[in-house]
Amino acid sequence: MIKINQTFIKNFWPTFHNHGQNSHLKSFYTFTDYWRLWVLSVLILIATALLPLCLVTIIHYQLIQKSVDSELNLRVERLSSNATNAINFFMEERLDALIFTVNEIGYDKLTNKRKLDEIFKNLKLGFGGLTDLSVLDTDGNQINYSGPFNLEGKNYKNQAWFSESLGKKYFISEVFNGYRDLPHIIIAVRSVKPDGSFFILRATLDTERLFQKLTSYRTGDHADLFLVNNEGILQTPSVTYGSIFEQTHLILPKKSGNRKIVETPPKKTDLFISKHSFISTKIVGTPFILVVQKKKADMMHTWLDLRRNINWTVGISTVLIILVISFASTFMVNKLFLVDKAKAETMLQMEQSHQLASIGQLAAGVAHEINNPLAVINQTAGYIKDLFSFKDEPRNDEEILEYIDSILDSVDRCGTITQQLLGFVRQFDIKIKKVCLKEIIADVLNFHKKEAEYRQINVSTSFPDIIPEIITDKGKLQQILINLINNAFQSVDEGCSINIIVSWITMGTIKIVIQDTGCGIPEENLVKIHEPFFSTKQGKKGTGLGLSITYGLVKKLDGTISVQSTKDVGTAFTIVLPVKIQEKELG
Amino acid sequence: MEHIDILIIDDEEKFAAMLARRIELREYHSKVCHDGKTALQWIEKHLGSVSLILLDLQLPDMYGTQVLEDIKKIHPTVPVAIMTGHGSEKDKKECERLGAFKFMYKPINIDSLMTILEHIKEVPND
Repeated sequence: MIKINQTFIKNFWPTFHNHGQNSHLKSFYTFTDYWRLWVLSVLILIATALLPLCLVTIIHYQLIQKSVDSELNLRVERLSSNATNAINFFMEERLDALIFTVNEIGYDKLTNKRKLDEIFKNLKLGFGGLTDLSVLDTDGNQINYSGPFNLEGKNYKNQAWFSESLGKKYFISEVFNGYRDLPHIIIAVRSVKPDGSFFILRATLDTERLFQKLTSYRTGDHADLFLVNNEGILQTPSVTYGSIFEQTHLILPKKSGNRKIVETPPKKTDLFISKHSFISTKIVGTPFILVVQKKKADMMHTWLDLRRNINWTVGISTVLIILVISFASTFMVNKLFLVDKAKAETMLQMEQSHQLASIGQLAAGVAHEINNPLAVINQTAGYIKDLFSFKDEPRNDEEILEYIDSILDSVDRCGTITQQLLGFVRQFDIKIKKVCLKEIIADVLNFHKKEAEYRQINVSTSFPDIIPEIITDKGKLQQILINLINNAFQSVDEGCSINIIVSWITMGTIKIVIQDTGCGIPEENLVKIHEPFFSTKQGKKGTGLGLSITYGLVKKLDGTISVQSTKDVGTAFTIVLPVKIQEKELG
Repeated sequence: MEHIDILIIDDEEKFAAMLARRIELREYHSKVCHDGKTALQWIEKHLGSVSLILLDLQLPDMYGTQVLEDIKKIHPTVPVAIMTGHGSEKDKKECERLGAFKFMYKPINIDSLMTILEHIKEVPND
């Protein structure tokens, strides 16, 4: 489980931040700035994913807003239209009743108190909504009265409604208090007496009944229906503006010939949707304007709920998208980085192998050029020696013979060296056989036995319980070990130690570590040590070929070689070899 | 016809001359050819009168393996030893396939050469 977590984290955690630590590898990377790549990838992906989401959300918002507004408008319009019709009808019905009464009954009967009481009773029964009924002459005197108030004999000459009704055939007043000190509406019908002069039949409307009618249309808490006059004074109580006769300061439409009212379109900031309509009967207008107001908040509630849901969904989706994109980008850039790194490493290795190969070719050329003159020297010296040996005269000159022998020895040694140099490129037969690691290491250490004793160098070896017997090319393995152990001996001072540790890695691979507590290799040289002719050993001691040959030999044995070194602490060469080498034709 | 113990085919004149002289000193007969064609012509003319042929691989007119193949066509039983400065493993295999009985790297040790020659002379192969 922990392992899975680690791989998971490895995949999704930016591993490319330590990119560029190895300056030698750096030059082989395709991308130089992985963070920039990551940021770019995240930004592009987020923009691509979120832009359509935001656009759709905005369009959705606008569509819903529009439909909510139009729905609200429609509702208010319907309500207003219904209520207007009802109030119109209420007024018209009562006006018609009065007209009928005047036309049918005649002035004489109307001035009769008993008769008027009877008519009033019948009207109340038939239509309702009337408070009282009275007859007035043109001077404003109340000739006859039927109703609950004690208003008989009152004179209305100075009242505004009276003079107005005298000038018109039909009249409907605003709401006012009058003598009875209670809000009421007057409906008046002017008619002609038998003597030709006018008289007025006046009825008072029951405002309570009107209020109830309005209230019955009020649906929900957020709707307000009320009547105002042309000056904006409340004619019925309003939820928003207060009780009757309060000034509302509403902007009211002007009365025109056409009954239709052009409403100013509602603004987005308005809290209400308002509709105005004039109350008017077929034959006479009224001073009333019906105002219907509906608070937007009522309808908006649903919309706001929806919007909250949308906002949450969009918010959570955005966070998810950003998270997924960030992780995906990290994953991708990580993979890219790893591939790039592998490529860079391969390139570096190729560069090194290329160097080795070209040096190898050079070595072959050099060896060839040296070999032939060496052969000539060899034969010439041999011939001189022959002359001394086969001819009689100087045959006893031992000293000269010794010198010649030394020339021949040197030539032999040179020949060996050139052969070794050629071995660097020449493909020898791989003589594969079973090799005992313990024996081979002991053989190599044997060469240094005297040196170790003399310099007091402590040499130790460590083997696993099952001593590895590996199937490989003995000569090459021997050369590898000789080179590395020689190196170790050259780098340690007196009293230091050299450890050779053999251990199993898997069933098929073993590891040989050759460790010393010597002078170490400076970091800047670590990448160069496998290069041919790179040597820090001044003078005649080193050719700079040792490690590069070792490097090539380990490769030929299908193995790997690595080095860890700290200056003044020591160096450890680690060789990993397969226990059984794959046989192949090397040509 | 004079019998030749060792025929040296090598373009390195000084080397061949020295080797020839040392062989003469040891009272054997030698002959030097500096290119493949001359050598082949000589062998054709002197069939059966040579004990051992020392053949270099790098010759100016043809490659040693070709010379070896041609020698074996003319005179299949003559022992041919290859001596080379830097012959590859591939060359070695090819020469063995073509019938060379020895593959030696320069410089050549005269004493071992003599041992080989004596051994050949003891066991006549014709």
